[in-house]
Amino acid sequence: MYRKQVRRRRAVLALLIVGSFVLLTITYGQGSNGLQRGVSAIFSPVQSVADRALKPARDLVNWFDQTFDARGENNELRGELQDVRKQAVGADAALAENAQLRKLVGLDRSGAIPSGFDPVTGRVIARSPSVWFADVTVDVGSDDGVAVDDPVVNGDGLVGTVAAVTGGTATVTLIADHSSAVSAKVVPLGVQGAVRPNVGDPGDLILDFIDSAKHVHKGQAVVTSGWRGQGIESRFPPNLPIGEVSKAPIVEQEAQQQVHIRPFADLRDLDLVQVLTGGSRG
Amino acid sequence: MILTPKILARLVAIVVLAVILQLSFFSGVAVFHVSPNVLPALVVVLGLLGGTMTGAVTGFSVGLLLDCLIVAPLGGGSLVLLGTGYLAGLFRERFEIHSALVPPLLCAALTVFAELGFGAIELMLGADATVSSLAARDILIKGIYAFILGWPIYLGLRRLLRPALVEEPAVRPRRPTVLGA
Repeated sequence: MYRKQVRRRRAVLALLIVGSFVLLTITYGQGSNGLQRGVSAIFSPVQSVADRALKPARDLVNWFDQTFDARGENNELRGELQDVRKQAVGADAALAENAQLRKLVGLDRSGAIPSGFDPVTGRVIARSPSVWFADVTVDVGSDDGVAVDDPVVNGDGLVGTVAAVTGGTATVTLIADHSSAVSAKVVPLGVQGAVRPNVGDPGDLILDFIDSAKHVHKGQAVVTSGWRGQGIESRFPPNLPIGEVSKAPIVEQEAQQQVHIRPFADLRDLDLVQVLTGGSRG
Repeated sequence: MILTPKILARLVAIVVLAVILQLSFFSGVAVFHVSPNVLPALVVVLGLLGGTMTGAVTGFSVGLLLDCLIVAPLGGGSLVLLGTGYLAGLFRERFEIHSALVPPLLCAALTVFAELGFGAIELMLGADATVSSLAARDILIKGIYAFILGWPIYLGLRRLLRPALVEEPAVRPRRPTVLGA
């Protein structure tokens, strides 16, 4: 009797392990499948309600964390403010000139979003729990015109791309996810590279494969390069802000052809995002 | 664990509620920049209460539901969490839980195990991104959160699943019989 029970347990365990490997083999690299779309469609209204209901509690817990941070940041920001004040005078002049030039060429647009894209605003309703994944679920989906590979931004800059969609939700793979790679350039130098994650630290990304002959400096901005050619093009439109160079040791630039960047968007604390639907990709 | 339809329904409700709470609440809060992951702790507690089979099956189910909702390759989360639940169940079957510290300690240790397992699965699937040293810090802090949350989770689930638990009767020290009295 006992031996029979042990055999049955072992059989169930073996079945579960084999089942997991079979599922991994079948579904790896597919994006989303019917089961995931179905489960997401069923649970997305519940997740949406839970997200809204739990927001006050989440904000309360996060308030403690932010208070700790704010104390440290205060001194740092005072120093930065001095520098920024000096730069602001020059920036104002440049902005005025920029506005005139935009009007001249008929590009009088307020944001960095290029023409042809239709931004759809969504709220983050779920976030992945593990250190190894950086995905969020937003409450807009194919019913709102969202499609796989659409870029996602927030008020600060690029956030990620849509990895899977259901009717009412979309899963966004953040630029800090291990599977992410974004073609980018440093402005104003124009040094090209690929923004890769530093897994486990969403506040630190790596601009890889840069030209070691041109030296990049701390504080320079990094935007999407939005390349196109021979019938294919980047999934990201050009000039979406990604972040700024936070560490650029010459040794690392020359030996490993990389610098560190800090994303403009706070990838740990996303709430409202915009999915750039449409565009010229086809 | 004695599985009746009522208990099965409770287990399903616990799993669904825990996954939704994790994705909508726990993953959205950060203390010291790290969000708690209560799912490995939940699976550990179910393994401790129900044994290897309960641990493995609930671990598999939690992992599958999680993979479906975060649109990760199916099977990765299931494999890691079924191992986590199985190990917790094995502990229950081999050793006695003689201290109140055992469930939280096991939750902490197996949460670290699960996070490393998720990383191993990613490596197995060919992730080629660099890994920050902060990942190690995050995993350790997640272990500490699991330690803190492990005991309330254990108490709550034991209460919810009490009718199904096979409780060993408490052994009371017998008074020595005084001969000739």
